[in-house]
Amino acid sequence: MNRADASVPQSLTQPSTTDGRVIALEAQLKQALQHIADLEARDALKTQFLANISHDLRTPLTAVITHAEILRDGILGPLSDRQLDSISGIISGGRQLLEQVGEILTYARGAANQLTITRTTFEFAEVLAQLSALNESLVSKKGLTLATDVQRDIAPLHADREKVFHIVGNLLGNAIDFTPQGGRVWVRAFGINRDGRDELVVEVGDTGIGISSEHHDLVFREFAQVDSSASRQHHGTGLGLTIARKLVELHGGRIWLESELGEGSRFYFTIPYALP
Amino acid sequence: MPSLPHVLVAEDNALVADAMRLLFEETGHRVTTTGSIVDTVAAAAADEVDLLLLDLGLSDGDGLAVLAELTSRHALPRVTVALTGRDEQEITDRCLAAGCRAVMLKPVPVGELLRKSKEWLAVSEDAPASD
Repeated sequence: MNRADASVPQSLTQPSTTDGRVIALEAQLKQALQHIADLEARDALKTQFLANISHDLRTPLTAVITHAEILRDGILGPLSDRQLDSISGIISGGRQLLEQVGEILTYARGAANQLTITRTTFEFAEVLAQLSALNESLVSKKGLTLATDVQRDIAPLHADREKVFHIVGNLLGNAIDFTPQGGRVWVRAFGINRDGRDELVVEVGDTGIGISSEHHDLVFREFAQVDSSASRQHHGTGLGLTIARKLVELHGGRIWLESELGEGSRFYFTIPYALP
Repeated sequence: MPSLPHVLVAEDNALVADAMRLLFEETGHRVTTTGSIVDTVAAAAADEVDLLLLDLGLSDGDGLAVLAELTSRHALPRVTVALTGRDEQEITDRCLAAGCRAVMLKPVPVGELLRKSKEWLAVSEDAPASD
């Protein structure tokens, strides 16, 4: 210590020591805040890059798919059955890639808070019927059964139809993807009143491989697949549940799951009837 | 013999423009392709357009600027349809407000695009050129 310590009571030297520490802490805090701001700026740049690149990827895909459809539809002349199968494969692959690119774009917009809700009034049962029809061939190819049950006399939703479609589509797609041959997948929808607020609850369940409780939060995080081992042939962007959560939250709803490893999964989400 | 309907494809990506040219030429249309606002305006002003398929992102700016310019030159196509890679409602609203008959998300399935084009061209025969 310095010479002053000998003649001045320690209590009087304390404020200056404390001041010094406060100044040092303030400097550290400033540095940390600057660091956070830098990281946030970099994160925003990366998100913008994702949005740009996924938008740019659509353009060449558009050319590929359009040319393939011109061939498939016989506009340049008739094709043999085998040629038709092959060209249909190109189109399916291209459209699947397009969907995945679209998911990345939706995620990037969600992360940058650029997603907005456009509300219309519609029946949830219609959304579900449309999704059931879309997934019919995949369900039967895997030998699964898909059951749907929407509570009768349920009120129409006043929400963003496309986004509700997207949420259920992602949950249903996962359920089908993670349920082995011969399993069951179901979607139920019913109304509840929670804390004086009317909500639609949607359950998407399956008898698939399930998720252990320690991973329940992880599955909603971006780019996460709980088990990344090569033996699990589940491909995708890893964004489906992150996007579903974002879209549910945009509506002021909640999303969660009940599941145990080997016991199937039940994902739930709510959409409030009243505007948030 | 009646002349073939004139389709103007305003699209700044040559691969996509080529695909659209092939599609419409093979199905009985006369096709012009352009990639910029300037070229699109010049092409539409020089040769009356029955159907303009308008990409929103042209090389020199917002594709909808084409419509404002053609309006002032009294050279609007009979029908304009926006083809876009983005499906947000605000973009749809902006296109419709600018005078587009429809907004379609790329890549539009070719069967659907041909079917719709036939409808638009049939309707436009009876409609005034400023439609």
